[in-house]
Amino acid sequence: MAEYAHPEILVSADWVEQHRDDPRVRIVESDEDILLYDMGHVPGAVKIDWQGDLQDQLIRDYIDAEKFAEICSRSGIANDTTVVFYGDKSNWWACYAFWAFKLFGHDDCRIMDGGRKLWIDQDRPLSKETPSYPRTDYTVKGSDPSAIRIFRDEVLAHQKAGKKLIDVRSPGEYTGELLHMPDYPQEGSLRAGHIPGAKSVPWSRAVNEDGTFKSADELKAIFEQEAGLNSADEVVAYCRIGERSSLTWFVLTYLLGYPKVRNYDGSWTEWGNLVGVPVARGSE
Amino acid sequence: MPPALDELVEELREADRQERIELLIDLANDLPPLPDRLSQKKDEEHRVPECQSPVFLFLEREGPRVHLFADVPPEAPTVRGFVCLLVRGLDGASVEDVLSVPNDLIQRSGMAELLGMQRTAGLSGVLYRLKAMVARTEATSEPDQAPER
Repeated sequence: MAEYAHPEILVSADWVEQHRDDPRVRIVESDEDILLYDMGHVPGAVKIDWQGDLQDQLIRDYIDAEKFAEICSRSGIANDTTVVFYGDKSNWWACYAFWAFKLFGHDDCRIMDGGRKLWIDQDRPLSKETPSYPRTDYTVKGSDPSAIRIFRDEVLAHQKAGKKLIDVRSPGEYTGELLHMPDYPQEGSLRAGHIPGAKSVPWSRAVNEDGTFKSADELKAIFEQEAGLNSADEVVAYCRIGERSSLTWFVLTYLLGYPKVRNYDGSWTEWGNLVGVPVARGSE
Repeated sequence: MPPALDELVEELREADRQERIELLIDLANDLPPLPDRLSQKKDEEHRVPECQSPVFLFLEREGPRVHLFADVPPEAPTVRGFVCLLVRGLDGASVEDVLSVPNDLIQRSGMAELLGMQRTAGLSGVLYRLKAMVARTEATSEPDQAPER
């Protein structure tokens, strides 16, 4: 049986219980549903919200380095802290927060396998108390976001060069059957379909019912045998707003060890509204 | 807006961020379970497709009044809270009352501010879906009217 390429990046719920009071470790909950943290979280965990904290509220982008440093400082995260992310929806948003932390070059990021669901299903302790930690003096190290993030012009060049694209939305969104979701004015696109050449691998195929990630062998079967990827490939993953694809980015990068995977966070809400870019309908 | 709904919306609107979170958690915990007669009918016809989570809405008519029932998984407390707001605020309301609920209820209640832009889409879907269901029962409950062309 094959091992994950970077098994240390995925920590178990047991590991988290053992390191809850470890000052070198900070546990971070990041959820789709904004109420969950306050209803009970892993004791000692802080909440970082993908939307309210990590995204700029005016322009469509992430916060700047100064604001990121402030979030880390107030959460008691220092440059050398091991940050463990977990959340709802099979760690979908935890992976998004993980990706954003990597954009700012944070060194030691991990994901708790199984996320919030498995923790609760295993009857592990929950707390409603919001902890506070001594402030740190966080400094954003210059990292190179272009290694994990890609913008539309580069996506177009990538597509034209026939390089690998993975569309992780639902099959209906991929084929273009769902022209737009009714009454979704903020997430609508004027064109439906997918980027030509992209293979459809819905994000949820990478996870089990209990919220854990599938085994390396199962992931290889999906991404290599079915979708035809190879670890040497340059791969771009996208979805609707770049959140689901950050989970796929995580899987390819850390569980399968692909060194050249980028998340297109503009995703379909950008591509499906761009003038003059190629779009394909139906299955490929 | 029916007074019961108005009161709930007002309470949320006046609350600060943390109070809003707590009010919504209370609402989420208060959503009554589906009656047995409806729990067998959780099918696509009653599902709200805009929601990522499986959310089912049911409507029953009692003369001019409507009764609402809903099933929302506990993993989606924000949706549960919002649905409970609608169930409590609109149970026993008239068809006109339901149809005249403002479409920007999520903004008015201050929930949009709490949730941010991307999270409000599914919730708007619940309200639109509810109105469409009410409009449909109105159309089918008055067979004397000329059919729509």
